[in-house]
Amino acid sequence: MTTAAPSSPATSGEPLSTIRVAGLSVRHRRTLALDSVDLDFGPGVHGLLGPNGAGKTSLIRVLATVAAPTDGRVELLGDDVRDHRRRAAVRRRLGYLPQEFGYYPGFTVREFVAYVAWLKEMPAADTPAAVERAVARVGLADRVDAKVKTLSGGMVRRVGIAQAIVNDPDVLLFDEPTAGLDPEQRVEFRELLRELGTSSTVIVSTHLVEDVAAACTEVTLIESGHVAYRGTPESLTALGEAAGGVGDNPIERGYTAALRTHRASPAPALAVEGTAR
Amino acid sequence: MTGWHASDDLVTRYGDGTLPEPDAWSLEKHLESCGHCAARVSHAVRTTPAGVVLAEVRGAVLGAAPAPAPAPAPTGAGVAVGAGEVPAGAAGVAVGAGEVPAGAAPGAVPARTAPRPSLPSTRARIWSSRYLGRPSPVPRLTRVLWAAGPAVRGAWLPAVLLVAVGAVVLAYGAGFAGTRPLLLAVAPLVPVVGVALSYGAHADPLHEIAASTPAAGLRLVLTRTVAVLAVSLPLLTLAGLLVPSSGAPGAAAWLLPGLALTLASLALAGYVGCRTATAVTGGGWLCAVLVPALAAPGGRLTARLSEQLSYCLDGAPAQGGWAAAAVLCAVLLAARRPAYDRLERP
Repeated sequence: MTTAAPSSPATSGEPLSTIRVAGLSVRHRRTLALDSVDLDFGPGVHGLLGPNGAGKTSLIRVLATVAAPTDGRVELLGDDVRDHRRRAAVRRRLGYLPQEFGYYPGFTVREFVAYVAWLKEMPAADTPAAVERAVARVGLADRVDAKVKTLSGGMVRRVGIAQAIVNDPDVLLFDEPTAGLDPEQRVEFRELLRELGTSSTVIVSTHLVEDVAAACTEVTLIESGHVAYRGTPESLTALGEAAGGVGDNPIERGYTAALRTHRASPAPALAVEGTAR
Repeated sequence: MTGWHASDDLVTRYGDGTLPEPDAWSLEKHLESCGHCAARVSHAVRTTPAGVVLAEVRGAVLGAAPAPAPAPAPTGAGVAVGAGEVPAGAAGVAVGAGEVPAGAAPGAVPARTAPRPSLPSTRARIWSSRYLGRPSPVPRLTRVLWAAGPAVRGAWLPAVLLVAVGAVVLAYGAGFAGTRPLLLAVAPLVPVVGVALSYGAHADPLHEIAASTPAAGLRLVLTRTVAVLAVSLPLLTLAGLLVPSSGAPGAAAWLLPGLALTLASLALAGYVGCRTATAVTGGGWLCAVLVPALAAPGGRLTARLSEQLSYCLDGAPAQGGWAAAAVLCAVLLAARRPAYDRLERP
């Protein structure tokens, strides 16, 4: 288990990584949620797939600097987040949509998003315009002064997306963002994802394989605390066609095929290094 | 757009409503930017029973519209999305006939978007709704309330008011002589409870989001603690001044202990989390004050409580001790700043 991997500066030719994770382990009481995971992410939209309890949320929470890793090194935007001064600087450039989040019952959409902007220490002068923009980007401009508690589940989730993007973050972490969105909203959200991915590093944890196929530039499959597969949606689809997993469409077959391969493999860590870019 | 166009089979199945939902969504997405396919789908739909209804609607709308209508026909955008507004026919299949691009609509009559008055077109292009006017600034008072945190906004504030008002009512309404000692015994707990209700996953519904922001940690904890103290210190001291002394220490005697216990809770929270810390300090205070009063022999309970409180609060040594404890805890807080970033262990 690597405790303090030496920080290797990005070698020339390699795309600049905004997120670097080395030897990351997260333990919840007795269960090991993540087991010595090494991952790099650059700008683009990265799909994080895996069964329930695979460690997706644990990874996202560590990257969001909400949970502390048990072991290993996490570098966001070039800064080690163990240093609390640097962590504050990183957090200003971070957007995070938790799988579940609450809100203050009296808040309107505008107040909710502005409150998070305030927590993110955005300049007060820029906040109102940034809030309007974020709310408009998730299509809630006509509900900006509605109380959050009067909104439907899908709309609340979009409010959550709005608070995550209000500071135009460089690193965006979405945990199950499409849960509760209807098909049309999901299509719109994928469009937003692609747009965000042009400038930011976006990590989307999801169960919905088709979301990954439609919106992501890269796929990372996590299974019981290990990285089971890394590649593009196309390569996962190709794997599904070649290996013939179970599923209704090629990428679903790729997903199940990759999972099976990983489960059958005695040394998962080697497979990871083979496919990581 | 790529060179992809809807196959005839796809168009037919969309028209008769046998296309699965996901495929229909994807086709509709394509129609937004492809006038050619939109016209083909529109044609296919008009051959179905829904087409008759659509034609009627179209006729009625065009008849009702003012004769010279120079508005340009909309392009492909919005063709498919109006589906929910069409009254009858195959559900989710019909395409708003009036919105089909030119070519499908013979004659020079400009195609107009035709939402029925009773059905506002709220569904259309949900995510791309436009900016609405100027952004309105957030008032200063709102910012103060934000800083106040969940405790001061939530159930804690009524609880503080209840304690303060209850003390006065108890003293004058019910004529209870032991109000002052009772109030002094309870008062230091109030800010401690406020701290417990201010920060952490159990207390703050927004905690998961707040914890990922630069405000998280000691800064937010302290901001909210200040709000809690700003509300509880004056209110409870005022209530203490209003009720008769009945042998208990002065109304302001609890201020330093209250502050010290609050700071001790915060200092301890860096080690064991907010909830446990406040339970320890609050419970500790109760034990120090109530247990000896209950255990001591003779006299009325309020008299014994007064005596015990005098012992804990009265005189320079006691107050000096509380002040020293407060300073010590403040120093500990400052020294352990980073620990407050992640009060919730994974």
